[in-house]
Amino acid sequence: RDFRSADIHPNDYPTVQGAMYMGKILSERTNGRLGVKVFPNGALGDERGTIEQLRIGGLDMLRISAAVVNNMVPETIVISMPFIFRSTAHERTVLDGPIGEEVLKALEKQGMIGLAFYDSGARSMYTKKPIKTLADLHNMKIRVQQSDMFVAMVQALGANATPMPMGEVYTGLKTGIIDAAENNYPSFESSHHYEAAKYYTRTEHAMVPELLLFSKPIWDKLPAEDQALIRQAAKDSVVEQRRLWDARETTSKEIVEKAGAVIEDVNDKQEFIDAMKPVYEQFAKTPELQDLVKRIQATK
Amino acid sequence: MALTILCITFVGFLVAGIPVAFAIGLSALCTILYEGLPIAVGFQQMMAGMNVFSFLAIPFFIFSGELMLHGGVADKIVTAAKSMVGHVRGGLGMSNVVACTLFGGVAGSPVADVSAMGAVMIPMMKKEGYDADYAVNVTTHAALVGALMPTSHNMIIYALAASGKASIGALIAAGIMPALLLMVCNLGAAYYVARKRGYPAGTFPGWHIVMRSLAAAAPGMLIVVIILGGIVSGIFTATESASIAVIYTMLLTFFIYRTMTWEAFLAAAAKTVKTTGIVLLLIGVSTMFQYLMGLYGVADMTGELMSHISTNPIVIFLMINIILFLLGTFMDMASTILICTPIFLPIAMQYGMDPVQFGMVMLLNCALGLNTPPVGTTQFIGCAIGEISVGEVMKSILPFYSALFLAMALVTYVPMFSMWLPRLLMH
Amino acid sequence: MILAISGLLTLVAVVFYQVFGRYVLNDSPSWTENLAIVLILYVTMIGAAVGVRDAGHIALDSLTVLLPQSMQRYVELVIYIAICLFGAAMAYNGWVLGWSVAPYLMPNLHVTEAVRYIPLAVSGVLIIMFSIEHILAIFRKAEVVPSWH
Ligand code: NA
Ligand code: NA
Repeated sequence: RDFRSADIHPNDYPTVQGAMYMGKILSERTNGRLGVKVFPNGALGDERGTIEQLRIGGLDMLRISAAVVNNMVPETIVISMPFIFRSTAHERTVLDGPIGEEVLKALEKQGMIGLAFYDSGARSMYTKKPIKTLADLHNMKIRVQQSDMFVAMVQALGANATPMPMGEVYTGLKTGIIDAAENNYPSFESSHHYEAAKYYTRTEHAMVPELLLFSKPIWDKLPAEDQALIRQAAKDSVVEQRRLWDARETTSKEIVEKAGAVIEDVNDKQEFIDAMKPVYEQFAKTPELQDLVKRIQATK
Repeated sequence: MALTILCITFVGFLVAGIPVAFAIGLSALCTILYEGLPIAVGFQQMMAGMNVFSFLAIPFFIFSGELMLHGGVADKIVTAAKSMVGHVRGGLGMSNVVACTLFGGVAGSPVADVSAMGAVMIPMMKKEGYDADYAVNVTTHAALVGALMPTSHNMIIYALAASGKASIGALIAAGIMPALLLMVCNLGAAYYVARKRGYPAGTFPGWHIVMRSLAAAAPGMLIVVIILGGIVSGIFTATESASIAVIYTMLLTFFIYRTMTWEAFLAAAAKTVKTTGIVLLLIGVSTMFQYLMGLYGVADMTGELMSHISTNPIVIFLMINIILFLLGTFMDMASTILICTPIFLPIAMQYGMDPVQFGMVMLLNCALGLNTPPVGTTQFIGCAIGEISVGEVMKSILPFYSALFLAMALVTYVPMFSMWLPRLLMH
Repeated sequence: MILAISGLLTLVAVVFYQVFGRYVLNDSPSWTENLAIVLILYVTMIGAAVGVRDAGHIALDSLTVLLPQSMQRYVELVIYIAICLFGAAMAYNGWVLGWSVAPYLMPNLHVTEAVRYIPLAVSGVLIIMFSIEHILAIFRKAEVVPSWH
């Protein structure tokens, strides 16, 4: 049986390839009895839509950004917070350890089996004028996703948050409806936004992990040994997904640099991190979440 | 197997006379049941399909068009068009083409265009001794530009079906040249039939009358400039421009023309709600249908199949046109766009067609479908107003079809027509 | 109907306020987009149901008109039963979907996500009622007078 897995990214994207790799090893280990068929390009719906399908058992598997389930599973808020991870290495250590397990467990209460975390790199700001200090962002109109946290983050940085669908961002940048947007290298490259805003400043303000999920109604009907095989295959695909992600980031970075994008660092990143205090106060409200923040920060 | 069920149930329901939206929805539900998926998945898709911010432009464009109609803007446009080309042979026919093109700029769709212009022009032409079939054909074909002019809600539907590959701004700019081309072709056809049947010419009213009637119609037409200018210069997004269009139309008809009454305003709003419901329900159920086609990989299959037949872009584009035409004979415009764009856009792009140009090809094809039996919405409306049967209308339709096919061939094979204006304005 | 019309006017106002906010208040309100897409669902679903009542949905009727008069009544009956079934599926699944997301709040708007599915359920119920009205009219050999054109 081939499990159907949905993803909004195109066929060659590392998250899609990761799920395909998982299917490949699952199929090898079960002599073709179990497998995964990935539906890329949002063929089965957008992120919010596919999560609803997954929860009612209309879809077997799903790759999704942790940010999408923020309003369902509070624990995912913490791992989506700005500057929560110091670096990619820190992120991977936290997610591979007991904290990662805890977050995956929390998903189960809301009808989703958390199989594994995938990488989606770090998101940075790109603007039409260079950014060196926090003051440079003052009053800039920055496009964000439809997310309370990103709106709050941009406001805390002293800029104006402008939620806008991804498809309108290119024209928005060109015509000046917005001054800036933010994303990771691969999206900055594939969306051609570097043609409209060439200063890519490595604020690395968010590293929102990707989730690989399984439908709980369908999971509960599977025999325990199959469940174990699926879990193991998902975990084993993480290594491959990370390798592909790193390669993809390098390629994208080269492409945008060749096209004339300017990649720079801010003078003092701590200034940006300090500005996030109101965001942490607003979103990590309960003692449990505050404790989770502390434990992540304490992880070496 | 599942695909067969989908197709057979769909055609079966359609032939039984079940409205298109429900035929699509029910056949999708049958297939989902067969697949063993929860039915709720289908409705989740349906709601997701309608729950898109950019779709807001649809009710807004419908609303501003209804306001223009109920607020007397249509009459001013007819007067202007008549003063301009009324003195040519078959003068009323020619005026009709120009009036429909101008009103197409402010009407959200060909259907709105034909209802507005047909109600004024068809009885007028019949009274002046024109044959009813000519009057209906001129109106229904000229009205098709409504799909290409800036307030076209079908263009918004295409932009969404193309999932961001073509910007709404570029599409809106791109529509103008093909619309004018279509007008010229329609004028040709109208003139040809008028000559053959020996219709009379009107008298030229004099330049001052032309100027005065144009000035009276200009504030109505200004909406095209506002939408296009606002989007291209980046003052507002397409959705926002549509809301500005509504507010502008309200101000215009209430305070400047002073032609709007409260009853007419409520009638316009009520009509908008109903049309929006009908159009968006179609969009919703088409999303269900799309989901199933995604599940069974129909797009890849079609692409592969077509590449087996030929790899010559000219042949591929011709095949796409023929398939779209055939589907258009019995499918509704919105559902054809939504279902066919994901299938054919990647193929067209692979053979070097820009998504914006493909949008024009798609819109023209679907617009033609509005005038072909068995399901031709503008044709139905035109016949109802002209009080003749579809059979009678078919008598003089050939020159008009030829005009449309010519326009379609030019738009398909000469990228310039679609791409020149957007490139000029957007870069 | 009044509800749908005021919904439509509110929609225009909300999106206009988004432009107004950006240029006059120099602050893009972030709730406008979410509110607008919920409102559109209400307007749409009421409009779709009224479309059933006024027989406004586009249909292929050139084949059924060829049938004898007596047969046509049965065909119409089948059509409205089919529409009624679809309405029932809408109502039931609107409830199922609404229930499944009810505990969660929508971003920026802070109301339950279920409001996205209430129009589906309501419209489903309206469609059931309107198609039953048509079915009864067929039995009584009467016509349903459109409420508005
Ligand atoms: Na138009
Ligand atoms: Na047709």
